[in-house]
Amino acid sequence: MHVMPKSRVTREYMSTSPSKTQEVTTEYLGKLLADVANTRSRRAFSELFKHFAPRLQAFATRQFGNEQTAMDLVQDTMTNVWHKAHLFSPEKGSPTTWIFTIARNIRFDILRKNKHRQNDVSAEDLWPVLSEEMSDSSEDNFALDQNILMQEIGEYYNVLPDAQRIVIEQIYIQGKSQQEVSDELDIPLGTVKSRTRLALQKLKELITAHD
Amino acid sequence: MIKFHPTEELLVKYTQGELDASLCLVIGTHIDMCPVCANTVKDIEENVAAEMLNKSSRFATAEMDNMLEQIMSSSAPQTVFREPTLKEVSLEGKQFKVPPTLGRLGSRLGPWSKVPGSVWRAPVDIEGEQNINLIYMAAGAAVPEHTHRGSEATLVLNGSFADEYDRYDDGDFIYLGDSHRHSPQTAQEDCLTLAWLDAPLQFTSGVARLLNPFSSLFFR
Repeated sequence: MHVMPKSRVTREYMSTSPSKTQEVTTEYLGKLLADVANTRSRRAFSELFKHFAPRLQAFATRQFGNEQTAMDLVQDTMTNVWHKAHLFSPEKGSPTTWIFTIARNIRFDILRKNKHRQNDVSAEDLWPVLSEEMSDSSEDNFALDQNILMQEIGEYYNVLPDAQRIVIEQIYIQGKSQQEVSDELDIPLGTVKSRTRLALQKLKELITAHD
Repeated sequence: MIKFHPTEELLVKYTQGELDASLCLVIGTHIDMCPVCANTVKDIEENVAAEMLNKSSRFATAEMDNMLEQIMSSSAPQTVFREPTLKEVSLEGKQFKVPPTLGRLGSRLGPWSKVPGSVWRAPVDIEGEQNINLIYMAAGAAVPEHTHRGSEATLVLNGSFADEYDRYDDGDFIYLGDSHRHSPQTAQEDCLTLAWLDAPLQFTSGVARLLNPFSSLFFR
């Protein structure tokens, strides 16, 4: 088992202050990714690159201590961002998190390749970040634990498409207003309202059909 | 309700990719089954990502422009589809559903073999070594008391078993460090688990001690 060096205490990651560059907001980065995905915008990608490449380089240099390997990681990660931006979904996390998980997977594979192992598992098997058509619903079917409200809605909750489920979760479990959800997820208020309506309708149908 | 979860420390290491691939498989499969840990990992991911990517290095402009140009003129990487290849396992006339993380590595599941005590095992070939197995205990089965030289992680996929410490049901994740002794057994219900070891078992009691020279054949 190769465990991280002792000096990097895990708790640190949970308590550090958020990054100082607040001028580049999550929403803005998300919009750039959407532009790359929808219109192959070179300008949007250049901006993403200028924001992330130096950060990835700093991360990779700390990890590998080798300039060339670090640059390979930066290039591989950003190549995937350019070609696979359509796989980013703001509902699953921030752009920074998505890009970090791509880099994490590449790092994992680089470290394992260095061991010259045959027939090896790839990070993508363990953390499918760049796989197409991941059936999210099949993953959620294995959800066994539920909090109180989820228990009431029971298994039906998991039948909802991701987009609807997340909205329902934020409104009915976290107690946010539709406006807040709209702001946070960077989707129009009308979309939040229609997703809520569709989700509730669907849940009602499911519950009455099974009662 | 799932009672036993990986510690936050394990989940952080998992998120950072700092664990063995085979232990990541057990934890990932637990996360498939456990929305509580799935949420925790989401939070950890956000935090780790913000922390890991909060510092910029000085990146020479020429080098940057060069890489940018290379990327935007590169051809698209191969599209990967990663659907689970294994949806369920059948054993002793029963079918068990397989969570997606394990299902994606399903082609690595080897043949079942019987171990003394109404126990079956099938290795999952992850690191070229067989330190991870599906273990099936029929109802009323017992694995002889054993201790570990290394750590052991067990995930209950279906059913229930008990040892000296507690009872474990679907989704429960049990991590034992070395020097823990225990004797897992089932009662009325059978039990399918995914078990990871980082060193062979040592059987500690009775006739089972005779198994020790062979324990590496059974469990590794």
